[in-house]
Amino acid sequence: MAGRGKLIAVIGDEDTVTGFLLGGIGELNKNRHPNFLVVEKDTTVNEIEDTFRALGAFSAGEAEASPDHHDPQLLNETPNRQFLNRDDIGIILINQYIAEMVRHALDAHQRSIPAVLEIPSKEHPYDAAKDSILRRARGMFTAEDLR
Amino acid sequence: MAAADLRAELDSLLLQLLWDLEELESKRVALNARVEEGWLSLSKARYAMGAKSVGPLQYASRMEPQVCVCTSEAQNGLQKFRVVRAGAQSPEEVGPREAALRRRKGLTRIPEPEVFSASPNPLNWFGILVPHSLRQAQASFQEGLQLAVDMASLQIHINWGRSQLRGLQEKLKQLELGAA
Repeated sequence: MAGRGKLIAVIGDEDTVTGFLLGGIGELNKNRHPNFLVVEKDTTVNEIEDTFRALGAFSAGEAEASPDHHDPQLLNETPNRQFLNRDDIGIILINQYIAEMVRHALDAHQRSIPAVLEIPSKEHPYDAAKDSILRRARGMFTAEDLR
Repeated sequence: MAAADLRAELDSLLLQLLWDLEELESKRVALNARVEEGWLSLSKARYAMGAKSVGPLQYASRMEPQVCVCTSEAQNGLQKFRVVRAGAQSPEEVGPREAALRRRKGLTRIPEPEVFSASPNPLNWFGILVPHSLRQAQASFQEGLQLAVDMASLQIHINWGRSQLRGLQEKLKQLELGAA
């Protein structure tokens, strides 16, 4: 695994995940956990948040210090959430409307890797005003700074 | 003079940032277009194959990634992504001899064993003969992946530029306060 690089993960609706898996990013075998999450109507926000955080927001040390530290028992019970501490994910693709549900988790993600890319979904077109990266970039320029 | 140098550096950094942001936006527009094309093709494939024939029910129980990303360090120490495809190898070179052999009647060419790992094409999950629209969907999403990787590299560069900008602005403020 180390020799072949990092994975691209995807959190999205059925069409988005199916499309990117068709593109060849999917990983799933007996011993590994999937690098994708299909968000359906009954998928809870906690599930999405757990998956996202586990995909890349936490290192081993940060997990304990986080105020939203999850019960290890819960993590053990949801093996596909064991994206925690995965250092084999390089990029996370996430539908923007799903990113909105876990915006606080995205905003808290400051590391450059994994990179998080927000993409549109069929029902929700992309809105640049909501993108975390662009919001931070907009915040760079104030009238004071440009004087 | 130090303040003037800092300002010049700030200007240069700002210009680079703005250029990166513009590049990011143009790639995003392209990615969104590819993804939308992909969805349309998936819908056409569903129309041809049946509504439940293209979805999570068809995902393989074992998947090996055909596409990964490698990180490399640029000169300024920034990480940059690069797409790596399974089975990436130099194209088979067919010399004149091989072409002549192929043209001989009755001579069958022994198929070479596949060099890359046995990562089956995800198209195979959906059947042996899949409609052209599904292949089109795959192509659209594959192009989208390349764009996504480029965008990820740009985002890293933009974040780095942001932190550099903040640092330089702080230094400039301190210099100006000191001069005052």
